[in-house]
Amino acid sequence: MRAERQAYPLLVPAGLIFSAFFFVPMIGLFVESFRLYIPGNIGSAANAPFTFANYAELLTPSFGGYLLQTVRISLFASLAGLVFAFPLAWWITRRFSPRWRAIAVGFLAVLMFLSVLVRTYALELTFGSAGPFRQTLLALGVAPNGRAYIEFLVGAGLLHYIIPMSALTLLATIQNVDPRLVDAAQALGAPGWRAHLTITIPLCTRGLLTAFLFAFSYSISAFVIPMILGKGRVLFISNLAYNRFSEIADYPSGAAISIVLFAVALALIYVASRYIGRRWS
Amino acid sequence: MELTSGRAIDGGLHLAGVAVMGLVVLFLVVPLLVTAVMAFDARPYLGPLPPPGLSIRWFVQFFSDDTFLRGLATSIELAAGAVSASLLVGVVTAAALHRLSFGARQVLMTLFLSPLIVPPVVIGFALLLFLSAQGLTNGFWRLLCGHIIITVPYTIRATLAGVSGIDRSLTEAALALGATERHAFWDVTLPLARTGIISGAIFALAVSMDDVSVSIMLTDSRTYTLPVALVSSMRANFDLSLAAASVMLTGVTIVLMLVLDRFVGVNRIIGQGMFR
Repeated sequence: MRAERQAYPLLVPAGLIFSAFFFVPMIGLFVESFRLYIPGNIGSAANAPFTFANYAELLTPSFGGYLLQTVRISLFASLAGLVFAFPLAWWITRRFSPRWRAIAVGFLAVLMFLSVLVRTYALELTFGSAGPFRQTLLALGVAPNGRAYIEFLVGAGLLHYIIPMSALTLLATIQNVDPRLVDAAQALGAPGWRAHLTITIPLCTRGLLTAFLFAFSYSISAFVIPMILGKGRVLFISNLAYNRFSEIADYPSGAAISIVLFAVALALIYVASRYIGRRWS
Repeated sequence: MELTSGRAIDGGLHLAGVAVMGLVVLFLVVPLLVTAVMAFDARPYLGPLPPPGLSIRWFVQFFSDDTFLRGLATSIELAAGAVSASLLVGVVTAAALHRLSFGARQVLMTLFLSPLIVPPVVIGFALLLFLSAQGLTNGFWRLLCGHIIITVPYTIRATLAGVSGIDRSLTEAALALGATERHAFWDVTLPLARTGIISGAIFALAVSMDDVSVSIMLTDSRTYTLPVALVSSMRANFDLSLAAASVMLTGVTIVLMLVLDRFVGVNRIIGQGMFR
């Protein structure tokens, strides 16, 4: 008990930093999102009246379109990431010797920690409209500056992080699945695909959900990837918030967009953790 | 009969699986190889692969660009400042959390990890509004505040994980031998927690070096980080000095991972399962 009371003064530095740099600014952002903005100003005036206009503006189809686009591309990228990462993780866990497994894990860790700038630049250089695959794309009838291809590139940018991240998350999960269960099913006559579909994958649901949650929350708050690979034609919500701030200095509207983005991220994490918690408590 | 067709599907799926995995690995690696090759391109313009000759002209160009050098200097100062501050706060906070009851610790940990669930652009925007209202307009101090808040959750979490992994009986032995609770923490617990502290520092360094979304909100016209300079250059003119920068940044990532592996073991971070 004495030790516990002695511990509280040690929490002061963290308390100060989190209040000053995080909690109070977040409350300020929330308040700013209800301030009236007069075009031409930089931000709202001090003591500007409160209004719902900044949120009302977000009910228009154009903002809804951006929100939907963000969610759609993020959803596809996260699901595709699971589909690609799962066999990779299974293979590394079950088929590699310890030495090769260590190398594969190191390789995936480097890919996961790679700077987002390197990822974005490398993808644009390789698959972008001026890249070495330009002729291949044209031959396949794909317009390298078409909207569909740009959306695909943004998704590829997200996947370049999601695949190594999901594979590393799933490695830990697959290591806990008893391989004898699949062996038993196969010994009893089940084909391998059936054994994995009904045994390995259900036993990995929790890991799959966790990887999906990480991937999806990474994607919907992505900023650099859509900004560079989207070429201004594909914008995510975070890009929209930044544009309100940098291009027209409409801070209240930028704040409202930020609050919406935060709410979406929070709702997602809440739903997913409730779901994970309920099934595996 | 059913058995054979099942096995045939297996064979097909097996092949398809191997093919998909090969494509995935190519997708992950080829862009990085293309970038590495192009970074050494001798041509003064961005041409098709393969480059007819090799040179280090784009590296020279990177290091003769004032914008990049200024950004690099800011990034290094910022990383040094933010990582040391976060590390210090992380250690002190973990020391406190370690002594609290389980319930109190869980609540505080949720609070301390909460910046991780907020999209970074939102943190940057909130901080910008707050710091401007306080009259803080100096770019470096604003960036330092931003980098501390995005790195400190990692140092707190990693240090606490390092501290929690220590056998309580070692601390009790120190206490039984006459050490005070404080001495036991600084002389016994903390040295044993160094793996956690080092991995926290590496995570913090990686986050600080790589951040764009928070930093881009907090820069001023003269103070900006290297990633912010690279992003604006990527939008303006897509030349190959950026490929040179990418090669060097990848090198830094590989070195960081090697250090992490040396001191902590990448396998330990990923975790060892029951059947491996």
